[in-house]
Amino acid sequence: MKNYLLTFILLCCFSGFAQQQTISGVITDDQDMPLPGASVLIKGTTTGTQTDFDGNYSIEATNGDTLVFSYVGMEPQEIVVGNTSSINVSLTVSTNQLDEVVVVGYGTQRRSDLTGAIVSAKAEDIAEQPALNAMQSLQGKVAGVNIINSDAPGTDPKVVIRGVGTASAGSSPLYVVDGIMVSNIQNISPSDIASVDIMKDASSAAIYGSDAANGVVLITTKSGKSGKAKIKVESFYGAKSVLNPVEMANGQEYINYFNEKQTSTGGSYQLSPNQAYDTDWYDELIGTAFSNNNNVAISGGSENVDYFFSVNNYNEDGLLKDQRYNRTTIRTNNTFKLFEGRLKLTPNVNLSFTNENPKGYGVFNDAYRQSPLVPVYYESGQYGQSFVNQSTGLVGYQGAPGETIGRLNSIGNPVANAFYDNQKIQTTNLQGLFKAEFDVTDWLKLSSRFGATKYYYKKRVFNDVKGRWLTSDPTRTSGQFDQLKEENPTSLTYVNNDLSYENKEEFRYNWDTFITIDKSFNKHNFNMLLGLTRDLRNDNYRSYVKGYDVPSQEQYWNIDMASSDYDKIAEQGYSNIRTKLSYFGRLQYNFDNKYFITANFRRDGDSFFKENEEYWGNFPSFSAGWVISREEFMSNSGIDFLKIRGGYGKLGNANVPQLNTNTVSTDPGSNSNNYVFGPNQSLIFGSSFGTPVTELTWEKTNEIFAGLDISILESRLSANLDYYNRTTENAIMNVKPLLNSAFQASYYDHGGEVNNEGFEVALNWQDQVSEDFSYSIGVNYGYNKNVLQDVKPAYDGNTGGSLANGQITKRLQEGQPLYAWWMYEADGVWQTQDEIDNSASLESAKPGYLKYKDQNEDGIIDDRDKVFMDSYLPKFNYGINLGLNYKRFDFNVDAFGVGGNKVYNGLKGVRIDGGENVTKEVYDNRWTGPGSTNVNPGADRDAVASSYYLENGDYLRINNISIGYTLSEDAIKYFSKLRIYATAQNPFLFTKYTGFTPELLQSGAPNETAGIELSAYPNVKTFILGVNIEL
Amino acid sequence: MKIKYNKSLLLLAAIVTLVACSEDYLDVDSREDISQEDSEQTLKGENFVTGVYGMLTDFSYAFSYLGVTEIISDNADKGSSPTDSGADKEALDNLQHTTSAGSVRAMWELWYKSIGRATSSIEFLETSSMENAALKNRLIGEAKFLRALNYFWLVRSFGDVTIQGVSEPSERAPKEEVYAYIEQDLKDAIDALPKKSEYASKDLGRATKGAAQALLSKVFLYEEKWDEAQTYAEMVINSGEYSLEPNYEDIWRVYTENGVESIFEVQARGESIAHGVQQYSQTQGARGTSGWGWGFNTPSQNLVDAFDAEGDEIRKNATIIFPGETLWDGREVSASVENAAYNEKAYSSANAGASDTDKNIRIIRYAEVLLIHAEAANEQGNASAALASLKKVRDRVNLPEYTNTDQTALRMKIWNERRLELAFEHDRWFDLLRTGQAKDAMAEDGKTFITGKHELFPIPNDQLIQTPEIPQNPGW
Repeated sequence: MKNYLLTFILLCCFSGFAQQQTISGVITDDQDMPLPGASVLIKGTTTGTQTDFDGNYSIEATNGDTLVFSYVGMEPQEIVVGNTSSINVSLTVSTNQLDEVVVVGYGTQRRSDLTGAIVSAKAEDIAEQPALNAMQSLQGKVAGVNIINSDAPGTDPKVVIRGVGTASAGSSPLYVVDGIMVSNIQNISPSDIASVDIMKDASSAAIYGSDAANGVVLITTKSGKSGKAKIKVESFYGAKSVLNPVEMANGQEYINYFNEKQTSTGGSYQLSPNQAYDTDWYDELIGTAFSNNNNVAISGGSENVDYFFSVNNYNEDGLLKDQRYNRTTIRTNNTFKLFEGRLKLTPNVNLSFTNENPKGYGVFNDAYRQSPLVPVYYESGQYGQSFVNQSTGLVGYQGAPGETIGRLNSIGNPVANAFYDNQKIQTTNLQGLFKAEFDVTDWLKLSSRFGATKYYYKKRVFNDVKGRWLTSDPTRTSGQFDQLKEENPTSLTYVNNDLSYENKEEFRYNWDTFITIDKSFNKHNFNMLLGLTRDLRNDNYRSYVKGYDVPSQEQYWNIDMASSDYDKIAEQGYSNIRTKLSYFGRLQYNFDNKYFITANFRRDGDSFFKENEEYWGNFPSFSAGWVISREEFMSNSGIDFLKIRGGYGKLGNANVPQLNTNTVSTDPGSNSNNYVFGPNQSLIFGSSFGTPVTELTWEKTNEIFAGLDISILESRLSANLDYYNRTTENAIMNVKPLLNSAFQASYYDHGGEVNNEGFEVALNWQDQVSEDFSYSIGVNYGYNKNVLQDVKPAYDGNTGGSLANGQITKRLQEGQPLYAWWMYEADGVWQTQDEIDNSASLESAKPGYLKYKDQNEDGIIDDRDKVFMDSYLPKFNYGINLGLNYKRFDFNVDAFGVGGNKVYNGLKGVRIDGGENVTKEVYDNRWTGPGSTNVNPGADRDAVASSYYLENGDYLRINNISIGYTLSEDAIKYFSKLRIYATAQNPFLFTKYTGFTPELLQSGAPNETAGIELSAYPNVKTFILGVNIEL
Repeated sequence: MKIKYNKSLLLLAAIVTLVACSEDYLDVDSREDISQEDSEQTLKGENFVTGVYGMLTDFSYAFSYLGVTEIISDNADKGSSPTDSGADKEALDNLQHTTSAGSVRAMWELWYKSIGRATSSIEFLETSSMENAALKNRLIGEAKFLRALNYFWLVRSFGDVTIQGVSEPSERAPKEEVYAYIEQDLKDAIDALPKKSEYASKDLGRATKGAAQALLSKVFLYEEKWDEAQTYAEMVINSGEYSLEPNYEDIWRVYTENGVESIFEVQARGESIAHGVQQYSQTQGARGTSGWGWGFNTPSQNLVDAFDAEGDEIRKNATIIFPGETLWDGREVSASVENAAYNEKAYSSANAGASDTDKNIRIIRYAEVLLIHAEAANEQGNASAALASLKKVRDRVNLPEYTNTDQTALRMKIWNERRLELAFEHDRWFDLLRTGQAKDAMAEDGKTFITGKHELFPIPNDQLIQTPEIPQNPGW
């Protein structure tokens, strides 16, 4: 009020006296909160000023001058100076993408000022696709970021940014939540997230140095805004079912297939055509699963305090019976403003509790293989097993005296296996941040923040040994078991049950302190950052206890109640703590908002590499940008915005899973370090020397990149193009010691280069056709080529991708993508024995078996004939996003696809004893005799890994179709806004792949089963109904 | 207000100072594993020698080893289901294995890793400040015994092999050098090791003087140094430490473990914490209804015929589980199990198909020493000594005394006796090779033995990838 009066008086006194006058006023946001540091500029000049802490400004201007008021993230406003000397301005939040605020690590920047490649997603993008983890919601929405998902409840998606650049070190990006460095964001409710900014290029990410080689994902959680309290309630219910079921052969088809196999192998019996059961195992195993999510958030603010509080409960059932995942999160983000807002204190706390009943995915594999002739339950109520009366050819365990009972296969009953899988996992995650920001002057800010995460994990596994023993053979009786138990009182084979508890604790923190300088002289604008960080992580604890014969009722499942007849197992250990010390700085300079230069620098010291001379490392980066559209000569070009940018950066990857010192290996359990001595056969613990370590340091990645941003047609069409070439010069490889050397365990050494080269395109069209109708179309595409090169001799050759039947499918090889597929090339089908006898063949070959190509033509089929066949990693991925708004309706469709990769259909390929079921497609197309087909094998076939089972991994999935209807204040009484919506997640999948899902995350490790469908959780489609209410 | 600002500034300055502490912050000690610099304080040489014994319990002995010792021979078939090839077991059974055979690779690697552990423990002990010199010498002797055992297994499988620390990894020492190395280790072990009866009870199961002598006599047998073979066998026989179990079938019972006939065996326990040769009983357990295992390494009809030809019911029944049979412990084996025979010597009564069972695996026992003695004596023309040792072995299983002194006939008799006495004790294939019977025996079994190739296993392809200069065996 004071200011107003003063201005008014001044106005009265001085009006008309001078051309040059002092204009003053307050700049606020649309919530009437003052904006400190907003800029005021006389258009066409370099004369300007900034607002003080209360948003006040004062500037000398002449009548007729145009004042430009601007603030990061706000729509700039221009006002012509007239007679009045008081101009108060209220800036509104910008809808222009170029003005949005991007988090750049220890600071923020306006998108139009960026010189690197940072992609962002906002709360609305995440809300569109409800999920447990925000990264799942972003699949297909960000170019150059490949998000590989699994639909199993509670999975952490794998995020690959600009290709996998390492063979053996970690390949997950760094997550930074409000400045807290974390390894994943499973504990954050997506509803709490205001924005996600992903640093793709090395010049931006270099500010995080040795943690940044896999990219950096910056999460900003919501905070309160000044104004009256807002209450938001979000709620949805979903129902899930299998997206892409595979049709299996039915009972009759199985009989034919089995009998053909028997004929070929000379099996002693045939199955009778009249069988009692025709079970569809997937039907029996999988049900419709439900999920629901409820979220309440309260936010608001006053002069001194901004507050945000939320509670979220997320509940998801799996496709299997009793498979559940439940997470509750509580977040409070508050900011206290002291000394007229010059000191801001921000304590943020996030609590997350999960409760999970996981089930092993092996049962999906079992359901694929178990014969349809086996019942779920026998008439006696016992679980069905694959017994067959070989004398009568009838599937069942009963037989008259003299008849032979065998098994069709060694697969268990999938329903029983799922039932006996009894696990429970509970976790608690406490994450907190305390931040102090102090504005020393209007251009100098001091910040310090401490963020820490403590994680508790408890896993209980109960194993009903007796139940499993009885289930595996219906002729067994409880009495038999008890008798065996009595006869073998110490044998672990005849315990009633075993129970184990595993407890883990993890702790990490980082403490950053930095100063930020923001200063402009004429058209020169500087922004400088200097800081340091202390970082401690991997402070982990694990304990494991196991006991036998606890009471069968769940309430007594305590190790204390285990039988004293059996020794209990106790294990406990601490991990190696890792500390880091870092210094970092950033200099940003631009001239006239046209020419931009950014330089980043970080120096990291890491305790893991302390025995190495190079345990301190420097990570510099440099980038520049030119906003061509702001040049005079472009003023009539019709281009609204055009910028080119490019740069260089160096990053590190210090995520190596061991302390780099020579160690001695010991083990408390059954292990080849230990041995039994003495008349009582005591277990004596021994030890052995580990493989001597080589000097390790972090992996160093160098990247050059260039990009172009353009928007035309009144900013309706915008495009971003990016090119990058990044090389990890000293990729850490897991090296197998020479077979005939003394040491056993693989060791890590720098042994090669990994190159990733690619480009990214993002196109966006948005148009407001009328007051009632607007729409947008977005397309993004990312291409990446991955290759391993310059490998030290004998360092490659590691194999991987085990199919768990003695077959492997991948190999690490120079000149190939990381762990490329490596197997025999299928080359038709053996038609006759004659043909086999006269050609190179495997010893097991028979007519109807796949023929493998003798690549080196030496007349023998062995490892030397295996060839490389591409990678499981997609070469490209793309997303298509459509949005329509008509009056109160909104409509969205999103699609996501990948291509250029291969996936291995392990379900189809892996057979152990020939009595497994097959898909209808395999049945229909099988080889049935000479001349029938030269492509598909017959009912009797081998299970050797070959290109026959390697299928095209391309797919396009519609991952979201949603329609919403919004009611606002004018239509309803008690709510300020109410939106109801219906969403179909993953309703359609387009792929040539013949299994359940070509999106095969598995463990995520390239040398393991990534890209192999074997015990994989199927893709699901989900239908969701939800409502969002604002009060 | 001004004062408060200054105070805040001071506070922030203090924070900055706190954060920017010295590099001591980066000095973090290992908690997960004992670092080698601390190993002298926390671990003793004894632990490292235990670690060498421990290698004998590796899973490879339960699967790969079956392939390269028994399944490949005429004693055993692959077993299991026709469509389960057991990785390369079917190929081995058909004598069609390649340089990529996983079983061959697994044993090549395991033996070298065991040797590596033995050498590290010897070096550790030799440089350690251990005060009990007798114990130190004994432990070194045990490690040398184990090193020799592993080199012996290597040399008889691959011929010329790399000697760690002596030849380069890409070189193969002539097998004579390898044998000389083994002999030296065993002679050192004989000097250092106590007799079986001299060990404290808690040390039951460790390598003894007798074990080293017995192994050395076997090594000499492979070298056809008949005189030395006989000498060392006699040392064992005359030591008074060993005798035959009265009942043949008792040799594989829990109560005869480390008994009078036992010279060296792999130790195992089936109680919590169970620890044995991982899955040895499971891989060879009966498969199918009422079965307990994978059903690999099944006795062949050829072996059954060999027992029958000799009228050897006792050893046949102690060696083979037949479908429908009731085992000695009362377990009924269903008539409808999947295979026609199973290896009874691998059967654990208490733990059946568990992954760690109480099954001690006999590596060398007294009966074999008698047969080595018989063979070595016969080769030197001492038929009477040979017949005397042979008689002891045959008497136990109620077979008539053999009296023919013709050297050739007696040689064949002793070889056949070895087959029946030691069936499924992992020697058959090497006996066939050593005695030159392999080609004919394989032909009789319907397989093609290629002379000049199959006498040795191939150097694994993965080794050739790592050290391309290493020479491959002939024919591979």
